Amino acid sequence: MEEEVGKLTFWQTWRRLIIGGIAVILFFLVWEALLTWFIPLNKFVISKPSLIFLGIARDMESGILWRDLLVSGRPLLFGFGAAVLIGIPVGVVMGWRERVGYSLDPLLTALYASPLVAVAPLVIIFFGVGVAGKAILIFVLCVFPFVFNSLAGVRSVDPLLINTVRSFGGKEMDLYRIVIVPTVLPFVIAGARYAIGRGLIGVLVGEFFAASEGVGYRIAWYGDMYVLDRMFGYILVMMVVAILFTEGIRWAERTAFPWRVGM
Amino acid sequence: MSDMDMPNTGLAPVEPVDDINTPGFWEKNESLFLGFGFIALVIIIWQLVPSVFTLSKGMKLFFATPTMIVGAFGDLIASGKLWPALQFSASAFGLGLGLSIIVALPLGVVMGRSQVLSDMFDPFITAINATPRLVFLPLILIWFGIGMWSVVVVVFIGALFPLLINTYEGVKNADKLLINVVKSYGANEWEINKLVVIPNSLPFIIAGLRLAIGRAVLGVVVAEFFGGSSNGVGVIMVRASGSFQVDVVFAGLILFMAMSLILTGIVRSIEARFSRWRPQQTKSF
Repeated sequence: MEEEVGKLTFWQTWRRLIIGGIAVILFFLVWEALLTWFIPLNKFVISKPSLIFLGIARDMESGILWRDLLVSGRPLLFGFGAAVLIGIPVGVVMGWRERVGYSLDPLLTALYASPLVAVAPLVIIFFGVGVAGKAILIFVLCVFPFVFNSLAGVRSVDPLLINTVRSFGGKEMDLYRIVIVPTVLPFVIAGARYAIGRGLIGVLVGEFFAASEGVGYRIAWYGDMYVLDRMFGYILVMMVVAILFTEGIRWAERTAFPWRVGM
Repeated sequence: MSDMDMPNTGLAPVEPVDDINTPGFWEKNESLFLGFGFIALVIIIWQLVPSVFTLSKGMKLFFATPTMIVGAFGDLIASGKLWPALQFSASAFGLGLGLSIIVALPLGVVMGRSQVLSDMFDPFITAINATPRLVFLPLILIWFGIGMWSVVVVVFIGALFPLLINTYEGVKNADKLLINVVKSYGANEWEINKLVVIPNSLPFIIAGLRLAIGRAVLGVVVAEFFGGSSNGVGVIMVRASGSFQVDVVFAGLILFMAMSLILTGIVRSIEARFSRWRPQQTKSF
């Protein structure tokens, strides 16, 4: 009886992963089989998984892949870092000082809701095609989730806790340290999850526009050259990177703030 | 304020003293004044920069004041370049969004109702939703060529996932009790969906639509930027940036922003209307 219960929970906990994994494997197998036996492979239209994985392996071996990842990673790191350093304080002050919030809210909301990728040509004109231009584009895209999530976080701070700290003679600094930061942090990390997705868009836009290296550049270049197996390979790499980032942050959220799951 | 509704005691009515806490005109509209005042301030400062600071020759070339941008916008309309481009962008937007609604709603309902199907699709949806869809653009260009259909497909992929995920969540969220009631009266799957599931998930779907519109406008922008077409507002912007006409680029940018804000604003008001009657009624059953 107990064994059966154990089996049931095993199936329940892993069923999503098992069914999902089978579906993914089936997807690649069917793709491979269709193009091997049923439809003649036209290399200028489509590729098949065996060629794609071979291509990834070759690009890893020659080291191009690692170099491209590094080249794309640098502006992402700078832009994302700047967004953290500027976005969080702006959001916290907006939430903490009501009038600052009133003043900045409409402008920033309008910017957040608009397709900011459209500033890419301007950023390129003003800051050039190097690391700086890309980092600024990524910063522009990444900063808003941080601003608005830390704003929401500060607004959700319990006033009772603030009063308590004040009654015990806490100063402004103590308020931030004891009450505000622990409340706001989960919001900020949820914001980081949105921001990293937007940051990756920034990487791609920047590199599609003007670059000579990097993952986005390589995808566009292989596309222009009609080397579809390599292009699919780089697309897969990009997908894996994106999944690692978002699921990694999700995992951090779950382990650090288990009471906030599903926010 | 409660002492103003005191029962009539026959004494002369006491003149109500202006309460310190009663918000005046300024306090009531403070957020509006500050918000729009700040936007106005930014625009004024931006306008005044060239007359206060002397810009270097290179900067002057790239600097566009708000009046120049409005002028460029007027020129675009007057030269007749804007309307065909806007028509092209709008029809690509409409077609892509329409297609994504046609695909996402049925698929979302089916996934929400079938556990196996949702488990099967889950890894693909997680993967594609985490990845910037932009990564597929070069592939889409190879498959669909340069022209309207590439733009439509980019818009479609962008708008599909918020709609699909929200429909799925809405269907999942439907009241099990209501479903069982309808079932015990002999309803089949189609009737269950029609009577319970779809009305219940409507607010979710509309919230998804709001996100989808933002993504769809984004799709139009990027697809037109990167050679998805030879027409459209995005193309005007790229050409202008190639010849350093910063004012035209800004005009296009503001046009896209306005489109996105107006459309999401409309959906937001629809959303508010739909959720007005919703929560208590379903819970009080």
